[in-house]
Amino acid sequence: MTQKRAFAAFVASILAVALVAGCGGAKKEAAPAAGSSDKADAPKEIKIAFFNPLSGSNADAGKQDLDGVKLAIEDVNNAGGIKALGGAKLSLVVTDTTSDPKDAVSVVERTLSTEKVVAGIGPGFSNITLSIIPLLEKNRIPILVNAISDDITKQGYKYVFQGTPKGSMFGQTQVEFLGYLNKEFNLGLKNVAIVYENSAYGESTSKGSMDIAKNAGLNVVLYQSYPAGFTDASSLVTAIKNAKADVLFPVSYTNDAKLIINTMKQFNISPLVIGGGAGFLWPTIGKEMGDAVNGLISVGSWNWDSKNISSVPELAAATKRFEDKYGYFMTEHAGPEYAYVRMVAEAMEKTASADPTKIRDYLAATEFGGTTFGGFFQPGKAKFDDKGWNASVHPVMIQWQGGKPRTIYPAADATAKVELSIKK
Amino acid sequence: MLARYGKLGVVAVLLAAAASVPLFTDQQYLLNVLTMIFLFSALGIAWNFIGGYAAQLSLGHAVFLAIGAYTTIILFTRYHVTPLVGMFVGAVLAVAASVIIGYPCFRLRGPYFTLSTIAFGEILRILLLHYGNFTGGANGLNIPYRGEQPWNLQFDSKASYYWIMLAVLVLFYVLGKVITTSRIGMYLQAIRDDQDAAESLGVKTGNVKLTALMISAGLTGLLGAIYACIIGFVDPGSVASTTMSTQIALVAIVGGVGTLGGPIVGAAVVTGLTEVTNAWLGATRTGTSLTLYGALLMIIVLTRPAGLISLVDLIKWPKKSEKPTEPATEVTSR
Amino acid sequence: MMVQSIINGLMIGGIYALVAVGLTLIFGVMGIVNFAQGELLMVGMFLTYLLNQWLGLGIYPLFFVVTPLCFLIGYGIFRGLINRVIGKPDIYQILLTLGLSIFLINGAIMIWGPDYHSIPNTIKQAAWNFGGFSIPVARVIAFCVAAAMVWALNIVINKTEMGRAMRATAESREIATLLGINPRRTFAIAFAIGIALAGAAGLLMSPLFYVYPHVGQLFSNTAFVVVVLGGMGDVYGAMIGGLLIGIVEALSSVYLAMDLAQLGVFVIFILVLFLRPNGLFGRRTA
Repeated sequence: MTQKRAFAAFVASILAVALVAGCGGAKKEAAPAAGSSDKADAPKEIKIAFFNPLSGSNADAGKQDLDGVKLAIEDVNNAGGIKALGGAKLSLVVTDTTSDPKDAVSVVERTLSTEKVVAGIGPGFSNITLSIIPLLEKNRIPILVNAISDDITKQGYKYVFQGTPKGSMFGQTQVEFLGYLNKEFNLGLKNVAIVYENSAYGESTSKGSMDIAKNAGLNVVLYQSYPAGFTDASSLVTAIKNAKADVLFPVSYTNDAKLIINTMKQFNISPLVIGGGAGFLWPTIGKEMGDAVNGLISVGSWNWDSKNISSVPELAAATKRFEDKYGYFMTEHAGPEYAYVRMVAEAMEKTASADPTKIRDYLAATEFGGTTFGGFFQPGKAKFDDKGWNASVHPVMIQWQGGKPRTIYPAADATAKVELSIKK
Repeated sequence: MLARYGKLGVVAVLLAAAASVPLFTDQQYLLNVLTMIFLFSALGIAWNFIGGYAAQLSLGHAVFLAIGAYTTIILFTRYHVTPLVGMFVGAVLAVAASVIIGYPCFRLRGPYFTLSTIAFGEILRILLLHYGNFTGGANGLNIPYRGEQPWNLQFDSKASYYWIMLAVLVLFYVLGKVITTSRIGMYLQAIRDDQDAAESLGVKTGNVKLTALMISAGLTGLLGAIYACIIGFVDPGSVASTTMSTQIALVAIVGGVGTLGGPIVGAAVVTGLTEVTNAWLGATRTGTSLTLYGALLMIIVLTRPAGLISLVDLIKWPKKSEKPTEPATEVTSR
Repeated sequence: MMVQSIINGLMIGGIYALVAVGLTLIFGVMGIVNFAQGELLMVGMFLTYLLNQWLGLGIYPLFFVVTPLCFLIGYGIFRGLINRVIGKPDIYQILLTLGLSIFLINGAIMIWGPDYHSIPNTIKQAAWNFGGFSIPVARVIAFCVAAAMVWALNIVINKTEMGRAMRATAESREIATLLGINPRRTFAIAFAIGIALAGAAGLLMSPLFYVYPHVGQLFSNTAFVVVVLGGMGDVYGAMIGGLLIGIVEALSSVYLAMDLAQLGVFVIFILVLFLRPNGLFGRRTA
């Protein structure tokens, strides 16, 4: 009879999976959260977990995050490790969360069960972040993320830290920048079109932009979401052309950004493009467009050459090391991840402990800045508020010049001037 | 004696073994994997009511899962309705959706039916994305962790979810047995073998198929609610996608379409495969687990279309014998 | 705006048509719904990308290399896989081609990673602009080549020996065998042609899209809708269906909402399946 066999096969399969899963790290953790390694038995190796999608649709950004983290670990170890803990070296537990939130839960669960990590770094994507942060909260391991959704710090969690600007701030910065341009260059641009892809990133950053624009006296002639990964930007661009927009605020990842830009050229329209970050900032579009990328403007959550970085030799040196090692400039995904690792290292130095809760307390209480890597975040300092958000951070505007994005606004962070002449 | 009580006895022992696993380990990861296996087994059993017994290959079951999951989360996080109630609301809505979907789709056969289920799946996904104010759009909806709340199906340890899911699986299995041996089960069998012949014999195939779909949808909706509680997060891309629908169908197909034990084996194999490849190769060779899925599917179709559970048939089991002198014969049918 | 939208729709429609024609041919002749058609388009794109990198040949010259290559690949897939499920219940072929689709996408990810690649070319930004309307050049070329291929296909089907064999086998395998036609070989060739068309579509679209493993998925769903709309097995139907769907999509994005455009297409799909399952034209084979 089938039932008997079914259950036999069933139990056999369970045992098989148990064996396999067990083999992957059979350390029976008493309570992974309470991992306490005091100075009394200083560890030789301290593990930090890296959580990001390295497969699926978000993999290209995930790789940027990974590169940032790897370099940070190298830098800390090359400088002697955590001296307060006897020179303990950092090591990385790389966890590919996949781009699917439910698989992410399983994968993160696995890492937390089988490895004793003191902190988690990443992810850069809101939906993955939201699905895994409950696990870190439950296990009392601090996690620092560079996803931008506002919801991340609305959960009331104590162990979650977001160092990057919130999505809702991007629209504000774009509009302010336009106002600044209008004033500086006497442009009188009033008609704006806001288009965004219906991904988590697109929705987060464009929410409220319409009201912000209207309040700034701009005329929103088009406000459209479009399906992420669409095959044809013609309809969108036709709508933009029809609306006679002078300025375009697009929010897209790489593929769509390319499509939109090329299609606008085909349709012979050239509104001033003030990109919404993501695809407009990453190396792929630079490679794709070659010299034609110069002049492209976008908002970004972070940039490698903001004044707070270029004016501090230790910080600038880190960005240079990154570029030398990986062959591309330190992106808005890589930078914050790098900084997070350094900040965790600092926490362990200052508290002389690798206890996750003590690390968390240090992160929550400290005002980072100056020459330490908390100063990576513009405007040169970082302090996490009681909800876990770095309240002093704000987005910056960049413009591609000489094949790299340069910070052009706000003035306090700018290291390059806007060049409108190269806009074609 | 083994022959008389054996069957039930073996099942009981195995069940007890499964139930006691959390008592021997508190490795959350292992418990999570097993819970997901149980969940997908149950999903496969639910899918089989329409995909296996009625032989209508649905690649749109994520619709029902999503309806169950979203309903539960929305009722819980926005209106503070406990998931224990929300799950039934979700199930009812899923059943309602199945009527809307079934009615036009059942006019179609074979690949047309499958294509139409895909279309409905995509329609729901697009709607979930579009009406973001209500559904959270691409950002999805999540259940914030607020500690242990058993009455809301929120638990700290995966062990609780493990037992709940095991119990649900057993329930579904029993339900499946009841239905397949009932009259409607026979009608489904007739339709699977030859729909036109069944029709000519007086079986109201339309009604029977629709009933099967409604059962399948309601059960899947319930599971959607449980999924929402276990994972704590939904977004259109993960619960309402064709990928999810394919995973549900895959479990049943790999295990054995139209059998009760099949989905269990299928879920164990498919989930086991995913976990193994993610664990060993995840950070280095991405895409491996899915490539293996694809290969597995093709291999199963070409070599063992009855599914992996048919392999179990090849094992010689001691038969319950009325005539003790009869030699054990190799079983040839499921 | 309406006129421009219609032009946009026609241009993208031509591309949908090309993908759909292969699909409908395969279905018409051997009753197989190829869920992996989009992935074979992706294969065509990757081939173009790789050959461009290795040999330095331009995209359009590569047409004469990639298309025959895809024909061979199609033939191989038929002999190796599809052949074994002909005549079996539908579920077999659905699952087989589905498995193939998953395998191809993720195999590509395993080999080349999920990253986007693009083939350097100058044509991607070129367009003809007249009277306030724009038509991108790359799309026009794709449209024309697609039309030419469909026309050529129709000649093959109607005027050649092989074409007659395909039509006969589509009608009835038994009778075709009686007429001395080798059904398996006919199927193999029809399948190979269908795949060659998909691969060619991939090549034609490579100036316009990034090359990456999931790119075929963008076209799969729509291709199915087109095939059903035009009538399964009807090659001209697929062409016209493609154009129609392109226009519907373009107009829905403008008059409904951009992210609901796909919805419009699926709704039409269900309506057609429901009301006129034999397609708008009600014919069975070309």
